[in-house]
Amino acid sequence: MMIKQFLFVLVTLVGAPIVGGLLFGIDRKITARMQGRYGPPIIQPFYDFFKLLGKEHIAVSKLQFVWIYGYLVFMIASLIFLVMKSDFLLLVFLLGFAGVCLVLGGFSTKSPYAHFGANRELMQILAYEPVLLLLAIAIYAQNGSFLISEIFRQDKPLLFTLWPLFLAVLYVLTIKMRKSPFDISTCHHGHQEIVKGVTTEYSGPYFALYHLAEWYEIILLLGIISLFWTNPLWVGILIALAAFLLELFIDNITARMTVGWMVRLSWSVGLILGIINIAYIYYTKGVS
Amino acid sequence: MGLIQRSRVKSPWILHFDNSSCNGCDIEILACLTPLYDVERFGMVNMGNPKHADILLITGPVNRRTARVLKNLYEQVPDPKVVVCVGTCASTGGVFHNCYNVLGGVDKVIPVDVYVPGCSVRPEAIIDGVVMALQKLAKL
Amino acid sequence: MAIAILLPVAAGFLVLAVRNYYVRNIIVITTAIVLIANSILLSLRGPFTYTPGGFDWGLLITILDYAILIFYLYVGISLRNWLVLIFALTQILPLAYFEFVMKAHIEVAPAFVVDHLALVMTMVISIIGSLICIFALRYMYDHEHHAHIEKSRQSRFLFWLVLFLGAMNGLVFANNLVWLYFFWEVTTLCSFQLISHDRTKEAIHNAARAVWMNSTGGTAFILAIIYLYATQGGSSALSVQSLIGGGIQSSVAVLPIALLCYTGFTKAAQMPFQSWLLGAMVAPTPVSALLHSSTMVKAGVYLVLRLAPVYAGTYLSVIIAIAGAFTFFATSALAVSQSTGKRVLAYSTIANLGLIIACAGINTPLSIAAAILLIIFHAISKGLLFLCAGTIEHQIWSRDIEDMEGLAAKAPLTTLITAIGILSMFLPPFGMLLGKWIALEAAYTVPLAAVFFVLASTLTIVFWTKWLGRLLQVLPKIERPFEKLSLSYSVPLWTLLAGIFVVGIGVGPIYQNFLRAATNDVISGNQIIALGLNNLILITPSFMQRDILGLFPVWPLYLILIVALLLPLLLIGLKPTELRPVYMCGEQTGGTDTDEWLAEADRKTKLQLGGYYYQSILGEKRVNPWANAIAILLLVIMLGCGVIVI
Repeated sequence: MMIKQFLFVLVTLVGAPIVGGLLFGIDRKITARMQGRYGPPIIQPFYDFFKLLGKEHIAVSKLQFVWIYGYLVFMIASLIFLVMKSDFLLLVFLLGFAGVCLVLGGFSTKSPYAHFGANRELMQILAYEPVLLLLAIAIYAQNGSFLISEIFRQDKPLLFTLWPLFLAVLYVLTIKMRKSPFDISTCHHGHQEIVKGVTTEYSGPYFALYHLAEWYEIILLLGIISLFWTNPLWVGILIALAAFLLELFIDNITARMTVGWMVRLSWSVGLILGIINIAYIYYTKGVS
Repeated sequence: MGLIQRSRVKSPWILHFDNSSCNGCDIEILACLTPLYDVERFGMVNMGNPKHADILLITGPVNRRTARVLKNLYEQVPDPKVVVCVGTCASTGGVFHNCYNVLGGVDKVIPVDVYVPGCSVRPEAIIDGVVMALQKLAKL
Repeated sequence: MAIAILLPVAAGFLVLAVRNYYVRNIIVITTAIVLIANSILLSLRGPFTYTPGGFDWGLLITILDYAILIFYLYVGISLRNWLVLIFALTQILPLAYFEFVMKAHIEVAPAFVVDHLALVMTMVISIIGSLICIFALRYMYDHEHHAHIEKSRQSRFLFWLVLFLGAMNGLVFANNLVWLYFFWEVTTLCSFQLISHDRTKEAIHNAARAVWMNSTGGTAFILAIIYLYATQGGSSALSVQSLIGGGIQSSVAVLPIALLCYTGFTKAAQMPFQSWLLGAMVAPTPVSALLHSSTMVKAGVYLVLRLAPVYAGTYLSVIIAIAGAFTFFATSALAVSQSTGKRVLAYSTIANLGLIIACAGINTPLSIAAAILLIIFHAISKGLLFLCAGTIEHQIWSRDIEDMEGLAAKAPLTTLITAIGILSMFLPPFGMLLGKWIALEAAYTVPLAAVFFVLASTLTIVFWTKWLGRLLQVLPKIERPFEKLSLSYSVPLWTLLAGIFVVGIGVGPIYQNFLRAATNDVISGNQIIALGLNNLILITPSFMQRDILGLFPVWPLYLILIVALLLPLLLIGLKPTELRPVYMCGEQTGGTDTDEWLAEADRKTKLQLGGYYYQSILGEKRVNPWANAIAILLLVIMLGCGVIVI
C-alpha cells in the first residue's frame, strides 16, 4: 500500500512537468492557429527549458534563489498533497505559500519592474485566494470532511451541488494561468506587462525553474478542477481539459484589464457565488 | 548537437533595441512577428527583458547617449548571446555616420556577430540574418 | 503559586528602589529565571486549588480596588478628561453600593483554581513576559540615551512592567470573581502607567483613552458581579468554577455572562474599541510586546474562553462568534493600509484576538482547541515581531515601513529574524497557521464566521507579504556581514525564534500531553488526535459518519520548509562576477549596485520605490465609519441576547 502510493507520487513528480509542458505547447499552438499563424511545435516549452538551463548563471540578489526554490518546492508539495488525496484546505494554504514565495522573489531586489509586478501578483492572490478557501469549506459542507479521498468516495459528483463554485473556480483558473483579461502581474511569451513583472530579474537556470513550477501548477489546477467529477475520473479530466481550452479562447478574445477591476470582479462575483453555494448547502443539509 | 545546443537553436529569444533609428527597420522587425511571416514558429519570442534574451536585434546608429544604454543592456544579457545589427545605420552608421552626435555603427560599442544591410531591411532578410546568428549560437 | 503572583510584585518594588543600572538588571534577570522555572514546575505538578489564609486578603483587595478607582478619578480631574472621570464613577458607585448597601460578604472557596488552562496561560505569561522584560533592560537604556532624557525613569518603567506579570498570573489563577476584577483593574492601571511613560501629550492622551475604554469593561464587570450576587443568592455564585459547572440551564441568566464577555471585548480591543490599542502603540516597544500583544489583551480572550461552556448553545455564542470574526476581517483590512510598522502589528493583534474570540463563540471542542493553540502561538510569534520592531527602531530610529526599505542590507540578522517571524504568522507549517487551519475546519458551525475567516486570511497574506517585501528590497551587492546585537536584545529574540520552531514541531506531543487536558477543562469531548509524533488528525463527531475531518502532517511539512527555503539559502553561492544590475531600461549610471539613473537631459535621478497602502479604499477614514457601526450593532445585539434571555 505504501509502495503503491510512493510509486504513484514518483510517477506524478516525473510525469506532471512533461504533461504540463506539453499542455503549454498545445496552448501556444492553438493560440497561434486562432490568430491565423502556424505557431511553434508542441514541444517548444521543452526547448525553452533546456536553453535556459544552458545560460550563464547570473543574478541580482542571493535571495532570488531562495524564493524561486520555495515557489517550486511548495508547488510540488501541493501537487503531492493532491495526488495523495490529503487535506484540501492545507493544499490551498501550501499553494498560498508558493504564491507568497513568488511575490517575495519579485520583492527581493530593488527593481522597479519587479516591484510593480510583485505588488500586482499580491493583488492577484487577494483576488483568487478567497474563492479557493470557500471551495474547501464547501467541499467540507457537502462531504463532511476536508479530505480529498472523501470526494472520491461519493456517488454524486461535486459538480451537481457545487456548480456555482465551479464557475468561480474558472475565474481562478484564468488568473492563475495568467490569461487575459487577468494577465496582470506577468505573462507568457511574447506578451509584456511592465516588462516581465515578477520575473523580470530572473534569468537562466532560475527562470527555467520558474517554468518548471508553472508546469506543475497547471497540472495541479486541472487536477483541482477534475475533482468536480471523480466518478468516473476520466470525465473530470475531460472537464478540466475543456476548461483549459475555454481559457485559451477567453485569452484570445479579451484584452488585459486593470488590477482594480480584477479584484472587484473576483470579490463580487466569485464571493457571491461561493457564499450562495455554501448557504444553500447549509440550509438543505444542516450542520454537525 | 547536444540537447542544450539544439535547444538554443530552437528557442531563440529576442531583445529588440532601437538606438536612434527612424523606426523603419523597427517596423520591419515587428512585421516579422505578425502572422504573415510568423517567426514564432521558430520559437522566436520578443522578450522585452535583456535578462531573458539570447539574441539582440539592434537598429539605428549609435550616438553618445545610446552607447551607454547599449553597453548596459549588453552586460545584462547572460551568455551565450549573439548580436545582430539590423539595417545599414546599425551596421555602419548609414547616412548619419558623419553627424556630430553619431559614433557610428553598433560595433563601435559592442561586438557584433551578424550584419544585415538594408534600408529598411526586408523581413525575409531579417529572418536570414537571425538564422545565421543561430548557427553561430549553436557553436558557442 | 504564591511565587508567581507575589515575586514579581516584590521584585518590582525592589527595582523601583534601585538606581544602579547593573544591579537592576541582575534583579530583573533573576526574577525572570525564577518565574520561568516556577511556571514550568507548576505545570509539571498539575492542577490544584488554593485558598490563602491567615490574613483578610479580601479586605486588602477591596481597599486596593478603591485606591485604584480613586486614582482614576484623580487622573480624570487632572487631565480634564470627562470620560475617564465618568467611567471611574460608574465603577466606584456600584462597588460602594455592593459593599455597603448590599452588605456583601464574599467568601469564595477555593479562591484560586489552577487547572490546565490556567497552567497554559501562566507558562505563556511567565516565559514570554520574562523574556520581554529582559529585552526591556537594554531597550530602555538606548531609548533614554537617544532621546537625551536627563533624569532616568527606567526604574519606574521596569517596576510597572514586572508588577504587571504578577497581576496577570493572579488573573488567570483567580476563581473569586471579585479578586479577578481586582487583578483586571491592576492590569489596566499598569497599562495606563506604561503607555504614558514618555510623558508626551499624545502618550498621556492615549493612556487616558485606554483607561476609559477599559473602565467601561470594568463597569460591566461590577454590574455582572452585583447581578450574580443578587439573583443567585450569595457569594457562592461568584466562583468562576460554579458558573462553569452550572451551565446555562441551571437558571443562570445570560445577562451577566454577556456583560462579562463585553468586558473581555474591551480588554481585547475588539471593534469598536480598537482605537485604544492603536493609541497605545506610542509607548516604548516592550510595553507593546508585553501588554498589548502577548499578555494583557490575552486576559480578555481568556475570560471569554473561560466562560465558553456557560453560553454554549445559545444565540449569545453565535453573536460572539460573528463579532469576533467580523473584527478579524475588518482589522485585517485596515492593516493593509497602515504604513507604520507597529500599527500593522497592532491591527494584526486585534485581528488574531478576534479569531480566538470567534473560536470561543463557535464553541465546539475543535474550535476551543484551536483557540488555545492560537493563544500560545500568537503570543510567541507576535511577541517576537514586536521585539523585532523595537530592534529595528533602535537601528534606524524610525517606525515607518518606508524607512525600513532595504533593511536586509543594513541589518541582515534582524531582517532574518523578522522575516522568520513574519512568515510564522500566516504560512504553513507554522503554528499560527495550524491554529487557523483548525479554526477554519471548525468554523462551518457558524457559516458567516467561516466566510469572514476566509476573507480575513487572504487580507493577512497581503499585508504581511507587503511588509516583508519592503524589508528585502536591496541593490545588487555581495558583502553583507551580520550586525552585532546586544545580549539583552539577542537572547529574547533567539529564544522566541527557537520557541516558534520547538513548539511548532513538537505540537503533536505537546497537544497530546498537555493541551488536550486544557481543552477538556473548557469543553469535553476532544476531537484532535496527534498520531505518533508527526500527524495531527482531526476527528469528527457523528456528522455524516465520516471518520477523519482533516489531516496535518507536521514533520513532513517542516522538512519541506527546510528543503524549500533553508537549503538554497545555505548551499547556493553567488560570485561577484555573477552580479548584474537591475533592469532600468539601461539608463543606470555607475556600477552594478547603483540606484541612480539618468532621466531627461541626463539629469541624475535616484530610484525611489514606494509601498502600496491603498489608503483610498482601505484607509481608516473609509473603513472605520461603517466597521465601527456594524461592530456597535453586534455589541448591542450581544447585550440584547443577555437581556432577553435566549
